[in-house]
Amino acid sequence: MTATIRDDLRTDIAEIIEVAPDTIGDDTNLLDAGLDSMRAMNLAMLWEERGVPLDFADLSEAPTLGELHALARQRSTAPN
Amino acid sequence: MAAHGRPLTEAQAGLWYSQALDPANPIFNTGQYIDLVGPLDTEAFRAAVAQASREAEALSLRFGTSADGEPEQALGEAPDLAVVDCTDRPDPAEAARAAIARSLATPVDLARGPIAFQTLYRLSPTRHFWAQQVHHLANDGYGMVMLTKRVAELYAALAEGRPNPGRPFAPLDAVLAEDAAYRDSEERARDRRWWLDRFADLDEIAVMKPGRAVSAHRFLRTERAMSEDARQSVAALAKASATSWPDTLTALVAAYCDRFVADGETVIGMPHMARFGTAAARVPATVMNVLPLRVTPDEDAQLAEWLAALAGTMREARGHGRYRSEHLRRDLGLIGAERRLYGALINVQPYDRPPRFAGLDAVLHVTGTGPVEDISFTFRGDLKDCPTIEVEANPDLWDERAIADHAERLDAFLASAGTAERLADIPTALHREQERELHAFNATAHPVPETTLTDLIAQSFAAYPEAEAVRFGDDALTYAELDRRSAALAALLASKGAGAERIVAVALPRSLELVVALVAILRAGAAYLPLDPDHPPARISKILAGADPVAVLAPDDPHGLYEDRLLAPGDWPLDSAQPEPDTPAPDNAAYVIYTSGSTGEPKGVVVTHRAIVNRLLWMAEHYGITGEDRILHKTPATFDVSVWEFFLPLIRGATLVVAPPGAHRDPSAIARLIAAHGVTTLHFVPSMLEAFLDTPESEGLSIRRVFCSGEALAPDLRDRFHRRVNAELHNLYGPTEAAVDVSFWEAGPDDTSRPVPIGWPVWNTRLLVLDERMRIAPPGTTGHLHLGGVQLARGYLGKPDLTAERFVADPFVPGERLYRTGDLARRRDDGTVEFLGRADSQVKIRGLRIELGEIEAAIAATGLVRSAVAVVRDERIVAYVVSPDRSAGEALRDALAGSLPSYMVPAAFVVLDALPTTVNGKLDRKALPAPAFAGDGGEAPRTPGERRLAALFAEILDLETQVGRTDDFFALGGDSLSAVRLLLRLREEWDGDPDLGLVFEHPDVAGLAARLENASDLRDEGLAPVIHLARGESGAAPLFLVHPAGGVGWGYRTLARSLAPARAVHAIQAPGLDSQIEMPESIAALARDYADRIDTACPAGLVHVGGWSVGGLIAQELAVELENRGRAVGMVALLDAYPAECWRAEPEPTEAQALRALLAIAGHDPEAHPELDTREKVVGFLREGESVLANLSRATQDGVVRTVLDTNRLVRGHHHRAFGGTLTHIRADADHADRPQLRADLWAPHCAVLDAVGVPFLHRELPGKPASALIAPILSERMAAAERISA
Repeated sequence: MTATIRDDLRTDIAEIIEVAPDTIGDDTNLLDAGLDSMRAMNLAMLWEERGVPLDFADLSEAPTLGELHALARQRSTAPN
Repeated sequence: MAAHGRPLTEAQAGLWYSQALDPANPIFNTGQYIDLVGPLDTEAFRAAVAQASREAEALSLRFGTSADGEPEQALGEAPDLAVVDCTDRPDPAEAARAAIARSLATPVDLARGPIAFQTLYRLSPTRHFWAQQVHHLANDGYGMVMLTKRVAELYAALAEGRPNPGRPFAPLDAVLAEDAAYRDSEERARDRRWWLDRFADLDEIAVMKPGRAVSAHRFLRTERAMSEDARQSVAALAKASATSWPDTLTALVAAYCDRFVADGETVIGMPHMARFGTAAARVPATVMNVLPLRVTPDEDAQLAEWLAALAGTMREARGHGRYRSEHLRRDLGLIGAERRLYGALINVQPYDRPPRFAGLDAVLHVTGTGPVEDISFTFRGDLKDCPTIEVEANPDLWDERAIADHAERLDAFLASAGTAERLADIPTALHREQERELHAFNATAHPVPETTLTDLIAQSFAAYPEAEAVRFGDDALTYAELDRRSAALAALLASKGAGAERIVAVALPRSLELVVALVAILRAGAAYLPLDPDHPPARISKILAGADPVAVLAPDDPHGLYEDRLLAPGDWPLDSAQPEPDTPAPDNAAYVIYTSGSTGEPKGVVVTHRAIVNRLLWMAEHYGITGEDRILHKTPATFDVSVWEFFLPLIRGATLVVAPPGAHRDPSAIARLIAAHGVTTLHFVPSMLEAFLDTPESEGLSIRRVFCSGEALAPDLRDRFHRRVNAELHNLYGPTEAAVDVSFWEAGPDDTSRPVPIGWPVWNTRLLVLDERMRIAPPGTTGHLHLGGVQLARGYLGKPDLTAERFVADPFVPGERLYRTGDLARRRDDGTVEFLGRADSQVKIRGLRIELGEIEAAIAATGLVRSAVAVVRDERIVAYVVSPDRSAGEALRDALAGSLPSYMVPAAFVVLDALPTTVNGKLDRKALPAPAFAGDGGEAPRTPGERRLAALFAEILDLETQVGRTDDFFALGGDSLSAVRLLLRLREEWDGDPDLGLVFEHPDVAGLAARLENASDLRDEGLAPVIHLARGESGAAPLFLVHPAGGVGWGYRTLARSLAPARAVHAIQAPGLDSQIEMPESIAALARDYADRIDTACPAGLVHVGGWSVGGLIAQELAVELENRGRAVGMVALLDAYPAECWRAEPEPTEAQALRALLAIAGHDPEAHPELDTREKVVGFLREGESVLANLSRATQDGVVRTVLDTNRLVRGHHHRAFGGTLTHIRADADHADRPQLRADLWAPHCAVLDAVGVPFLHRELPGKPASALIAPILSERMAAAERISA
């Protein structure tokens, strides 16, 4: 389950910044990998539609796959 | 955030400054409302708004200035939700909208607050408007979206009784700290360098709507949904170019904007949220930056590739997007509202999707997004639905119709892009606009008989034999005499071979013989070719070689070029028994006129009878020319305007009045000619018309009609004309290549057009405004003017290649030709055409067409320099040449005099080691140094007369450098027209009546001064009590500026001329300048004297007053005095002036200290000269210096010194009376560190209303150019507002 979320996030990010998914490691800084504000905005909008609990500010504050995944997991398991 | 004040962020500082310049402007209120339909839980909503407002600290901000004058901010109270019940109103929604609009239109009090409002309008139990309003200093567009989402999130939880969800906003301190860290960071330095690398070579930028881009108090707005075609097109192109759709859309809109810019390159502004990777990603605040983007559409590139490339640039720019564009603008020296960094804003906001509220339908309405300087294109929403296209624009630059058209055209442009391979395939104009251009605007078909000019003249000979055909001084010819003499000469010419398609040259001065010659050539069936014997022999020789004339009709052969072809008037027969030669056919050539050519070769334009007959018959009928008319001929025959001057009278039995040679340069002589000969119709090049209106003899003249052409007719000149002369004024336009003129416009007294249009096409003529690719340019758009129809010239004599290049196949009418004028033009919405200048390096100076390329070619041909570029500066030609020899200029000037006509010889030569280039290797025109139009400048003027004359030369030629006593007016850059201006000033200021010849005979300062001094006694320098600094437009009230401490008012000249619209500005100068006059006893007495002068200069109506320094203090008293006299006083502007009581408290200054004020007036920094500590040293320094003060006579210098000392004494004894109106105070904010108490509020006890503005300059800098650029618009706006109120 966790692996699937991580892979989904990786696929979405890779598509937005136009790189192969396997080039994005857990610690790759996405800003360095080509994620600029406009692309981040698009990604945040995509995730908002899909119900992924990550927003633009998260991308801004935690721009690695590992951090984003941790945030998403924490929020989807947190009692609400 | 701490309770004490915090500095503003860089993003806030720019907005703060704009608001401070215009404190009453409510446009900084941003706002939106959401239409909520459904059952709303009001208490939950109230609680949600309250919490979000507390979290969003920026909403509680208050602003003020610190003790040292810097703006600062602190937190106040958070706004609560106000609930307004509109349910009992007849139209609750309308009532709510009106309340929202009222609130937005009310400026907030930044110091006391609140600056943000949250209001819930209750329209019915199930419908509410939730309105938010925030000053732009506190929040931006993305911040507003965050805030709205947060309220929605909190409301959903509260309404359902769940605990608070999500994360609160981060504190504002995080943004402030980050901003402070960025200010001093290496990252900022890197970002700055990145931008400078990309913009350092930026010339004046081309924008859709040039002009002053300062946000008005309101904005225009239109909105439409993007069409489905456009939406699909953007989506498909985003996919094809592998870019995000917002970047694709931005690039396409930029390409659209570029279509409305003549230059090929434009700069658009791209709002950038500037939050990614920063703490501001979670803080509502003003963070947004505008990134300038240079856009040079490659119309031939694959569209997807071009889009991808531009999107790449955008991504790179965002990486450096924290560096503020207002700082970049300052780095680049783009100061003043007309010198901008970008034009249109393109704002794609995919994140601004319709908000979602639990259990409610929500629709967003944006009511204000902050200042709109020019135009902005905003796209709100996701591409999955059709986003909105919103166009907002500054009403000072745009109108409702223009922006609605842009929204419609832009949508069509986007839709067309979907099927286009290249940008080139996308039309700009809508289909209906193309139809109008081709048909409705060019419906000019009119029957014209199949005839020739020769035949039309012959008809007059038959019809009016006894009428006076030509008048020249005391001599005249009747039509019968002209018939007889021209027939005799025609027969002689025919015998020498003249006939159809042959050429006869004419080089005669204005005379009866000149007219006889032209008519005779036409009767012989040949075409006439006018020559100017004053042109360089090399040029004449080239023309003769190309035209191969049968004969040259001239008085003599000064250069030995005509040889046996010379036929002098003395050898012409007066009668002839020989038979009339064959008449020409309509398609035969009637005349050949040579114009300047870019290759260095003059080019001969061949015009047929058919073309000129159409032109002349149109003019005769359109203006009702009759036999009663007397038409003046004064234009040199080598200039095609002369063609109608010669022949319009002759085809109507009217009289041709021939001006004496040389008279065309002397406006007084023209005025006398008009009066002496009852001239009804004449022509002026506008710059000559201006000189004509300056001459006293033109006052009150009555003329039937005056035609202007040759250069743009300025609206101010039109208005002045009608105030001074009683005549119709017609603006005509046309190149030599289309039989003189092809369009007309009546510039009557009621015409308020700005610019004055060139109007509508004449008979059988088409005007087309096309873009670079011959696509039709929509109305309002600058394009290239193309001409079609019967008046087109046949082409250039002996130059088929050049002919093919300029006369091209008409893409709209098969088989027809179009002439590319090289002129820029624009259609107004009603179809009227406006002329906007030259598109290429061809320029016009004083109505003469000049190819700078021809000058450059001539310089190159001398072999004296390595490379050269010719440019026009201040209406004069300057050549920049590369040579190791610093004195190459003189040799060049001599060499060029032999190859170029005098009007094409550069007025100045600047020798450089290398021409400056941009990073792209292009010539960097901005980096070319200003030329000194000076000769030796060595020997200073000696006598008062010389000094006065030197100053006058400098003034008329607008020179910054000193003029020496041996400097020659013409070598300094003067030409015949500026010589006329000089003459008029001499007549005003010296006794006697010097004529123009005097200036030509004695063009040097010393010589002319000596000649003038012999003629009469000289009055003292121009230190009149009131001097005129700027000329005004009708309707604008005059401004009187009171001298500063030295008593001299000249320093206000720059400020006076920076006011827009132009208005009459006078400086009041101190009486103490004249040592014969007693100094008044008090400031009040001085003000009474000044009020008397104003009453004399301007006996009634509104007046504005102002002054700098002590001048401001006096201006306040003057305003009180005028008010007591019952005069209407508009603006009262005090430029960094402070009331008398502040000075009384200060210790009495020594004489030397007081005099140091003069250093500032003379343009020196007093702080830089501490050594000047006695009266003698200050005065000695000023006498040695280069200021205007140094150039005054000793008596006057003493007067200045006396004035400073006296005024200082008077100020201390003055007690202010309160003025009943508004004082506008301009504080020199960069100054007064040592005296922070010098603030505008010191004036509060002395006026009813205080309007305080600060500008970032030093006290002494206020009258200078950079400060004037900032102050002039502030004053202009105040004066216009006062005039509106008084009207």
